[in-house]
Amino acid sequence: MVLEATMICLDNSEWMRNGDYSPNRFQAQCDAVNLICGAKTQSNPENTVGVMTMAGKGVRVLVTPTSDLGKILACMHGLEIGGESNLTAAIQVAQLALKHRQNKRQQQRIIVFVGSPIKYDKKILESLGKKLKKNNVALDIVDFGESDDGKPEKLESMVSAVNNSDSSHIVHIPPGQNALSDVLISTPIFTGEEGGSGFAAAAAAAAATAGSMGGFDFGVDPNVDPELALALRVSMEEERARQEAAAKKAAEEASTKEKGDAGASGSTDAIMTEADKGAQDDEAALLQQALAMSMDDAKPMSDISTTDPDLALALQMSVEAAKEDSGSQSDMNKVLGDQSFVSSILSSLPGVDPNDPSVKSLLDSLQPEQEKKEDKSDKSEEK
Amino acid sequence: MASAASSTSQRGQVDLVDFVDWSGVECLNQSGSHAIANALKQGYRDDDGLHLASDSDEQLLIYIPFTQMIKLHSIVIKGPEEEGPKTVKLFSNKEHMGFSNVGDYPPSDTVVLSDEQLKGLPIILKYVKFQNVRSLTIFVEDNQGGDDVTTVHKIALFGTTVDTTNMKDLKKIEDH
Repeated sequence: MVLEATMICLDNSEWMRNGDYSPNRFQAQCDAVNLICGAKTQSNPENTVGVMTMAGKGVRVLVTPTSDLGKILACMHGLEIGGESNLTAAIQVAQLALKHRQNKRQQQRIIVFVGSPIKYDKKILESLGKKLKKNNVALDIVDFGESDDGKPEKLESMVSAVNNSDSSHIVHIPPGQNALSDVLISTPIFTGEEGGSGFAAAAAAAAATAGSMGGFDFGVDPNVDPELALALRVSMEEERARQEAAAKKAAEEASTKEKGDAGASGSTDAIMTEADKGAQDDEAALLQQALAMSMDDAKPMSDISTTDPDLALALQMSVEAAKEDSGSQSDMNKVLGDQSFVSSILSSLPGVDPNDPSVKSLLDSLQPEQEKKEDKSDKSEEK
Repeated sequence: MASAASSTSQRGQVDLVDFVDWSGVECLNQSGSHAIANALKQGYRDDDGLHLASDSDEQLLIYIPFTQMIKLHSIVIKGPEEEGPKTVKLFSNKEHMGFSNVGDYPPSDTVVLSDEQLKGLPIILKYVKFQNVRSLTIFVEDNQGGDDVTTVHKIALFGTTVDTTNMKDLKKIEDH
């Protein structure tokens, strides 16, 4: 969001006729310029951008720094290729144009597209860079097209002369499949220093994944709509986790119930075995969960047992000991014995119909077990 | 004038650091780690460990806007013997100057610093030229030794405000 005035220097020399960047070097430049202008004005509405040419009839300012995007795009029409690029004069003219910007609070920046070979000395370029630095002007260089005679080194030295705390950058783009603008999007020239505006990031994502939309989960591009993608992903994970937990819990409870509660859990064992048969059925699994939850002392065990088997074993042993000591009817039996309570729980469960035959048979099994249990205890008391 | 060594030197003259509009203070060609605040701000400027240094070459262009109109009477520039500033040009009320147009306008005053002045002796300026100053531009053209880096330890400005003459300040002087 830095307030900035930018001058873009286009290379429209004869070397730009070459087609190693599609469709030709000059068109690639124009596309890149359009994107840069858009990004700059989006990141801060008060930013201004100006455009000038370095070759042709001579160094010429096409449009002075303005925030009007239409004006900038219009001036790029009808540009002719020809002549030789004059880098030093162009940078000096750009500096002058920036000096006379309307809003003096804007930071000054020059973006240069260097596509033709450089005929200047390294020294001259360095002194030019120092002058820019002295006047607090940042410089970005896009090195593409011709690459010979130590052009990259000259440009690198120039940028390091200008550079003041990483405000100036240089990018080397070799010819290849990708368009010039696509490669530029991911560079700091486009994204600026703070790591990018929303426009830049979105454009980068769109361009980079143009061919692989289907690769995203749920067909939603996380960059385009991050909240939606996140919500979808989270709900999928939740659903999966819930199903896993349900299945796991049923299995765990079955195993823990069998291991523990040996003392007074004859009835529960019976229920468990009955439930095991029905456990394949989803409704029975839900039933198991409900029963487990209504059992006070069983509940903490099952919760813990899912996490730590050793701890579960210790708990079970302590529970068993307690149960044997008490020697009385356990609470869970009482709870289970309360037919009305159980049926009320069942009816409140979603997807469980109390009139369902399997459920009914289960309930019936509760009753006789309960009676058997009472008989047993009576007999033991009598003894 | 020889006795006037400390802050409130001449009669009625106040240290103008309180009237500086800090959001607009700029310094061209300063080095990143040695910024203008080291020389201007209360507390920093008296710390000898902190100083203002130039970057690419020996020139410095300091722009200081004020929160109200002031009359500038004198200035103190402290620096080391070799790297301290030599020729200093002052421009009043010229906004946003650059190194390229320092030659375009005649300065309101020019000072060539002597050794005593570098140690902290106040430099009396042409008072008539600084009667209604909204902003001050200080252009350090070269330094004593002729090196690439100019170092400044302290810059202090003395004068009065135009609108109000603070009665409290006057009373303070008369106590001496």
